[in-house]
Amino acid sequence: MRLAFRLARRELRGGVRGLRIVLACLALGVAVIAAVGSLRSGVALGLKEDGRRILGGDLDVQGGAQKLPDSLAPWIAARGGHSSAVIEMRSMLVAPPLASGGSERQLIELKAVDGNWPLVGAASFEPAMTVEDALKPVNGRYGIAVEPIVRDRLELKIGDAVRVGSANFTLRAVIASEPDRVSGPSILGARALISADALPATELIQPGAMLSHSLRAVLPPGDNPAELGTAIRSAYPGEGWRIRDAGSAAPGTERFIEQTSLFLTLVGLTALLVGGVGVANGVGAWLDARSETIATLRCLGATSGLVFRVYLIQVLALSAAGVALGVAVGGLIPFAAAGVLGAALPVPPRPGPFAGPLLLAATYGLLTALAFALWPLGRAARISGAALLRDSAAPNAAGQRRGVAVAALGAGGLLIGLTVATAPDGMLAVYFCAAALVTLAIFHAGAWVLRAIARRVPRPRAAWARLGLASLHRPDGGAAALMLVSVGIGLSTLAAVAMIEGNLRAELLSEIPAEAPSFYFIDIQNDQLPQFLALLGRTPGVEEVKHVPNLRARVVAVNGVPAEQAKASADTQWALRGDRGLTYAATVPEGSRIVEGPWWPADYTGPPLLSFDAELAKGWGLHIGDTLAVNVLGREVTLKVANLREAAWRSLGINFTLVVSPGYFENAPHTHIATVRARPEAEGAILRAVTDALPNVTGIRVSDILTSVAALLDRIGTALAATGSVTLAAGALVLAGVVAAGQRRRVREAVILKTLGGTSGQIRGAWLVEFGVLGLAAGVIAAIVGSAASFGVMRFLMHAPFDLLPKTLAATIAACVGSLLLLGWLGTAAALRAKAAPYLRNE
Amino acid sequence: MDAVPPPVAPLAPHMDPTAATGSAALVRARDLRLTVPSAAGPVNILRGINLDIAAGEAVGVVGPSGSGKSSLLMVLAGLERPTGGSVRLAGHELTALGEDALARLRRATVGIVFQSFHLIPTMTALENVAVPLELAGAADALARAEATLREVGLGHRLGHLPAQLSGGEQQRVAIARAFVAEPRLLLADEPTGNLDRATGAVVMDVLFALRERAGTTLMLITHDPELAARCGRQIHMQDGLIEPLAHAAP
Repeated sequence: MRLAFRLARRELRGGVRGLRIVLACLALGVAVIAAVGSLRSGVALGLKEDGRRILGGDLDVQGGAQKLPDSLAPWIAARGGHSSAVIEMRSMLVAPPLASGGSERQLIELKAVDGNWPLVGAASFEPAMTVEDALKPVNGRYGIAVEPIVRDRLELKIGDAVRVGSANFTLRAVIASEPDRVSGPSILGARALISADALPATELIQPGAMLSHSLRAVLPPGDNPAELGTAIRSAYPGEGWRIRDAGSAAPGTERFIEQTSLFLTLVGLTALLVGGVGVANGVGAWLDARSETIATLRCLGATSGLVFRVYLIQVLALSAAGVALGVAVGGLIPFAAAGVLGAALPVPPRPGPFAGPLLLAATYGLLTALAFALWPLGRAARISGAALLRDSAAPNAAGQRRGVAVAALGAGGLLIGLTVATAPDGMLAVYFCAAALVTLAIFHAGAWVLRAIARRVPRPRAAWARLGLASLHRPDGGAAALMLVSVGIGLSTLAAVAMIEGNLRAELLSEIPAEAPSFYFIDIQNDQLPQFLALLGRTPGVEEVKHVPNLRARVVAVNGVPAEQAKASADTQWALRGDRGLTYAATVPEGSRIVEGPWWPADYTGPPLLSFDAELAKGWGLHIGDTLAVNVLGREVTLKVANLREAAWRSLGINFTLVVSPGYFENAPHTHIATVRARPEAEGAILRAVTDALPNVTGIRVSDILTSVAALLDRIGTALAATGSVTLAAGALVLAGVVAAGQRRRVREAVILKTLGGTSGQIRGAWLVEFGVLGLAAGVIAAIVGSAASFGVMRFLMHAPFDLLPKTLAATIAACVGSLLLLGWLGTAAALRAKAAPYLRNE
Repeated sequence: MDAVPPPVAPLAPHMDPTAATGSAALVRARDLRLTVPSAAGPVNILRGINLDIAAGEAVGVVGPSGSGKSSLLMVLAGLERPTGGSVRLAGHELTALGEDALARLRRATVGIVFQSFHLIPTMTALENVAVPLELAGAADALARAEATLREVGLGHRLGHLPAQLSGGEQQRVAIARAFVAEPRLLLADEPTGNLDRATGAVVMDVLFALRERAGTTLMLITHDPELAARCGRQIHMQDGLIEPLAHAAP
């Protein structure tokens, strides 16, 4: 082994030029994975460290629409705790009347806080003042603080009088920071903060109104919040409250971060996979250039094992350098990104460094290097000394050493195992690995088919076209496969990402049904409904009004198993938490389809039956005849599942998870939810008319939501494209490596062709045919692979319909052809500039 | 398209060892100079060559390594641009032609055989030989290439790649490639330098036989006095200049 090291060291003195691409490929992939892992750890640590602040205390008890009992705060105080009550809901903030009459209004997320808020951290305002000063009554009018976006949209000034519900407020301040809020896009309204004492005057708290009561508590040092949570559940059994401690302050955010980082890690792995192809190619080309040295070593008595070790040491040394570079860059990215991404992430990421993700990224890098480099190394070790006597030092045709083949496959297997083992969603990682292997196989098969076609196609008349086509099926046409893979995988990823984004956009925005409503109006009290309908009846521009009863229900138990212990699939767990909409109906709701079980008779009056969402039922394992216990207005009701229903969520109509048979909830206090379809020019007037006449009613404009969703999709699209570009960058590196490896041969060929009378036009034409056909093939395969991948994601992960997007596909193919033609052109220019004499002189 | 310009009137032959021995000169070089830069200062490779080669003539060029023989061949083939003087090939002033015009002139007029064969490694013997004809747009390129390969005794090696051929066979492919377009001038740069004596002799027999049949003008660079002696005229190069040498009968 010492001899191997000594020989390797001597060889490395000659430089590592041929292996630079290998180094770059590994560094890029490892950097992405290390950066994603570090950012994920940074955000997770941020969430953990800020858990108390984000939660608003050591413990948070959420009662949903149901008010928490007055005895809870004293109960906590008796155990040394200190609590603060918070109520959140949606409402409208109405600006001062305009000179022209009427006034602008804006959907807000209203938060009413008591005097103890915030228990942890501090709120800050512009201009600077205390919470008390911002919200307290002055001259009989309470203060309100809003997010900057509300002030800007409604063109408010500090001191303006604004209305929320039935109460007037003075705009005292703009919220600069709110400690117990995880930052994120607000689709359904921006924050407005008022005192809880001011809430009654707004008259927003009505029976059945959609709001959320919560109580936060800080405990004496040393007390265990989880134990207190358990004690609360025991003291207040059957309440179905959601009780969280700081360890799970933002479970939704944690899930989001986990899923995003999984996606980004898979992108990094794709980049590493493409890089692996570059490693195989780079190492192969580098060893080709050393074939004479290897043959000489063999002539001088080196065993094939020694040769293998000598070159393995060099490749590993270079790979380690590439991996180290990747780890260093990836580890530093969170430091740089903290400033840029701070606003986009839910909490500022802690910059680290984090040993775990860096070590994992390094392991991925080294395993990739091994999996892809062992094969060419094994072949090189089989070069015999007799090769010196031949023209080309080709490896022994006997094939690969079994041990090397096993080791290469083992490294690949470990790589797959590591990917699956470290992914939060193992099955997704399995699918990814399978898809990656299939994609590699497809591109290799594509190259084989291309060569076969090029061999059989009738010979074109023009010499340049004939030479170009012939280049595709020459004995060294392996380069064609490499070019296909290197360009194709990157563009496949981009195509898939573009198709997913395009489909999401089409799904959410473009295909808004013609009968989609213009507004949702929520919190219409039972006794307000006639007035609401009459008002709309005389307002011009209203085309259609639909309304249904609306109650808020919290799932307490599934088949007798408490909701917090109930088993549910990953994509349906969300519905076990928080309030769900519940309505009652005698007939099948419009837009719904019964998929299992009978609908109840219209005159049914027996025990309450449930028509449940079929997708959720599948996720929860609920069948016809099973029971679901829900808490409605503080009372627990057990519902028997009578049928399962598919709701047409895409119609944007009113759909409910829980539809109950009539005769049970009619007399319970509840609200109505209504959809209004109106002419666009009448929308402003309708919103003003309804929310002026019924101040507690909140109007949500569909077009505003869609605008917010579009903006969010733009951000997601940009982020997806940026990450997808990483694989393209890796592909470009590999492609550059492939072309560079073959460039000397190509220049030599061009020189010989020139010597034989080939003009620059003919040589250029031949190259452009070769690269153009390769680009076209890569583009077509990338379009197919990208379509298949996006189909899989849309259909099986997002459960959404999928459409082929011809423009995206055409752009993918055009990008492939364009990039390869450009490369061909650049390569030709370099070859045509080369002087003939140095290549032709006697060697 | 920069086409090959029409030939100009031939110059009168000079009465010195560099002069052509027969009819009008196919190649005419005057005060031909080639200087290349180097780290140690400019290197004068050709220092004023005057040379006429008549159509149908065979000229052997001998001289020590570094005397400028291969550079002279490169310049005469239009593969290297002289830094001074003039060189005419088949009536065309090479220094006035662009790269593509030179390529077309080579395609129509010149065949070259190298010591290192310079076959395209990814093409079969047949494809290698057909290339000059294909570049010239000949419809029967493959048929003519096959006929020429049979002529040099390689009819059984048509589909072989260069790496699958012996050195002698590779050089015979190179000779077939040089002759296939029936050039007026054949330039050969130590064509037996990489071959053993017996193989070299076979290869040269092939070359001279083809030249005899086609009446091709030949300029043969060699270190082998016997081989040079097979040419009608020998010139000796030394330090980038042609030195006087005995004439042999054509």
